[in-house]
Amino acid sequence: MANKFRFHSTVRCDVLIVGGGGAGLRCAAEISEKRPGTQVVTVTKVAHPQKSHTTTAQGGLAAVDPRDPVDKLIYHMFDTWKGSDCSADQNIIKKIVNAAWEQIVWLENHGMHFSRDGEGNLSKRTFGGHTLNFGEASAFRAVFEADRTGKGIIDTLWGEALRGGISFINQSIATELLFKGNRCVGAVIFKQKEGEFIKILAKATVLAMGGSGQLFRVTTNCRQNTGDGLALLLRARLPVMDAEAVQFHPTGIVGPGILASETLRSVGGILRNRDLEAFMERYAPKMKELAPRDLVARAIETEVREGRGVLNPDHNIKHVWIDLRHLSDYVHDVQIPEVTGFFKKFVNIDPKKDLCPVRPSVHYHMGGIPTNEFGEVQKGSQESILGLFAVGECAAASFHGFNRLGTNSLLELITMGKIAGEKAIDCLGGELNELPDQAGEMTFSLFSKFVDGKGKGNLGQIRQDMQTIMTDKVGIFRTEDGLREAIEALKGLKERADNTSLSSKSFVMNQELIQRWELENLLAVSMVCAQGALNRRESRGGHFREDFPERKDEFNYHTLAYMEKFGKVHFEKRPVDMSLYEAKDENYERFGVIERKY
Amino acid sequence: MENEYNITLKIRRYAPDNKRSWIQDYELEAGRILRFTDLFRKINNELDPSLAWNSSCEHAQCGTCAVKVNGKPLLACELLVENAVAYFSTTVFKVEPITIAPVVRDLIVDLEKAYKNVNKVKPYIIEARENPNPENEYQIHPRDLERYVEATRCINCFCCAAACISSHKGFLGPNAVMASIVRLMDPREQAKEERLELLYSEEGVYRCHTSMACSFVCPKKIDVAHFIALAKAGSFGSEPNR
Repeated sequence: MANKFRFHSTVRCDVLIVGGGGAGLRCAAEISEKRPGTQVVTVTKVAHPQKSHTTTAQGGLAAVDPRDPVDKLIYHMFDTWKGSDCSADQNIIKKIVNAAWEQIVWLENHGMHFSRDGEGNLSKRTFGGHTLNFGEASAFRAVFEADRTGKGIIDTLWGEALRGGISFINQSIATELLFKGNRCVGAVIFKQKEGEFIKILAKATVLAMGGSGQLFRVTTNCRQNTGDGLALLLRARLPVMDAEAVQFHPTGIVGPGILASETLRSVGGILRNRDLEAFMERYAPKMKELAPRDLVARAIETEVREGRGVLNPDHNIKHVWIDLRHLSDYVHDVQIPEVTGFFKKFVNIDPKKDLCPVRPSVHYHMGGIPTNEFGEVQKGSQESILGLFAVGECAAASFHGFNRLGTNSLLELITMGKIAGEKAIDCLGGELNELPDQAGEMTFSLFSKFVDGKGKGNLGQIRQDMQTIMTDKVGIFRTEDGLREAIEALKGLKERADNTSLSSKSFVMNQELIQRWELENLLAVSMVCAQGALNRRESRGGHFREDFPERKDEFNYHTLAYMEKFGKVHFEKRPVDMSLYEAKDENYERFGVIERKY
Repeated sequence: MENEYNITLKIRRYAPDNKRSWIQDYELEAGRILRFTDLFRKINNELDPSLAWNSSCEHAQCGTCAVKVNGKPLLACELLVENAVAYFSTTVFKVEPITIAPVVRDLIVDLEKAYKNVNKVKPYIIEARENPNPENEYQIHPRDLERYVEATRCINCFCCAAACISSHKGFLGPNAVMASIVRLMDPREQAKEERLELLYSEEGVYRCHTSMACSFVCPKKIDVAHFIALAKAGSFGSEPNR
């Protein structure tokens, strides 16, 4: 048998983009538009860029239309800052919010099929947390393409990438970053269909590798979101930032985890427990179902934890009900048809007659690979790595801090994708394409460990156990004891993972081999998430410590976590950028450390 | 209402290593609202980790998990066990890869090859019409958008291409043709002639035998045949500056 642990070939290009979702494709399109002829290679983990997770985004893109008589950029900046629980970086907020409308127009001019108003201009709608005049009234700030905004973005960007002659290597994963001193010079790629390792040498490398929702039991995220980008950095002994900052949406549909949007509660849906009690009255007597996302999520989780949940036997998931039976046919048919359609499709029930099963679903990872305002990856608090960028959900610049507002993520994808693309062009001047200090040793030793593994561990079971531990101990409620237990349990799971064998040693489209690699990534990211949560003895945004329920000023910083070996994590701090506050311009006091109350 | 079904999946398998193909039976106890993707996962976790299948979003929005179940092309992520039992009146299901591209392993096909036809129709604006409002959006009246917006919902799952009786005889395929029709109806597109040339070529709409299988199987319930009919009639109805 030929040695599989060797490079089949080496590809040389100008820019390597790992990930073909919204951020990666926007970056690719920017480079091909601004500098035609640039050799860009985009690697995607999915079967085709159109299959990326961005396609599932429903809601919209936040952007202040300069023609709007009442909305202002400063309001969008304020909402983002407040929503982040004072832990986004203000230089990033300013940059993205200022660039937003231009990016919307770019997408429209390149063919995106936005929904229109009666005049033929872009329609706009409201979204939670987006306000006028610093919280006074709801802002109509989100442009959208029906309930498929993410798909519209991907279709448009993939079309532009195709037109621009971008090369794609689909169904492939990045297993190792290549360095020459302090410069990233490419990556090792494993092509699943061929079962081959290749080396891609590039003058600039952009990581756009998506989120990590698969760390948890119920998630809105796609099957491929296994924290690969973060694990790649950790393996290179580089830090990840705010790994503990995870957003839980209160109402995911049991089964696929898909969002049952806030709208269900705003039109009068009532949350009920096993005894059919309308329990929100006990948690938020005034606001009830309309209380903020995190409060509703904690209420549901408490009901389930205290034994008042309902078990769905098919998916083995405990949940509560959302009751929509009392709502009129008009509400069902006109105001919430998409979401009621999801219940019909995925649970086979009729929300007009039946109770609908929901539970909190992991939606978004605010934490990620630390970057500066150009998307350049940082290896410490300030120092950048040359030629390496990160954008999209895998990155943290940070625009969202510890809690992301709806419609801000799609905006961030396309804006940071574009900015990183522009900056990557600056890397292309020289005749670089240097050979890396070493290439493949780490990958080959990792993959031979997978292939040579012995033991009866069951990959699927280990993954499920990890998801259960993360959901129970590192989920919506976190405590000192629970987190310590989780960390110990993760170490046990890592040991079990190392004692698994693969049923087939073939390299060609061997899904089990990829799952083994994903498990390695998931465990690494779980570990820094749990340790980060243990380290942060306060509550902030999506991170809630039952034993420290208040936000504390002493934690006004970003966590940088490094992992020397599995379980051994050390932390550094990166200050939160407060440049809007420090500029002392009009309204600067809105950007101080303010209360997050709605 | 039954809570569990005893299901048999007869899955068409293919091993690229020795180019062997066979049907493998898997017996499963399955809850009523498990989806076929959940069943594949269950097989991996409990019976056979080597079975290869593809999916991504599992929300019926990306089209990666298209397979044929008892001959019908569909998305495995939205086929619930109890609906499958009711629809096919059986608990035995033959699951095969979708026949639009070579099989890589088991249920996974080489989607890139299937996409070649979509690439050929240039699924983007080839040449943009001048925007009367530079620095802002084109104005597109909702009435005009309404004529083609349904077709923009296509997710390229290729179920229509798998069902189409003309697809193997040099036809671009329903989804690819529809992607071009969208831009013919899109007032922002200037390059109508280039599009028409391909659409009315040997590989174009005249290959269509109007079986309307495309509309019948479309998981997104798009009336694909309607758009092909418009193309055959040359009825794109979006003159510039209309």
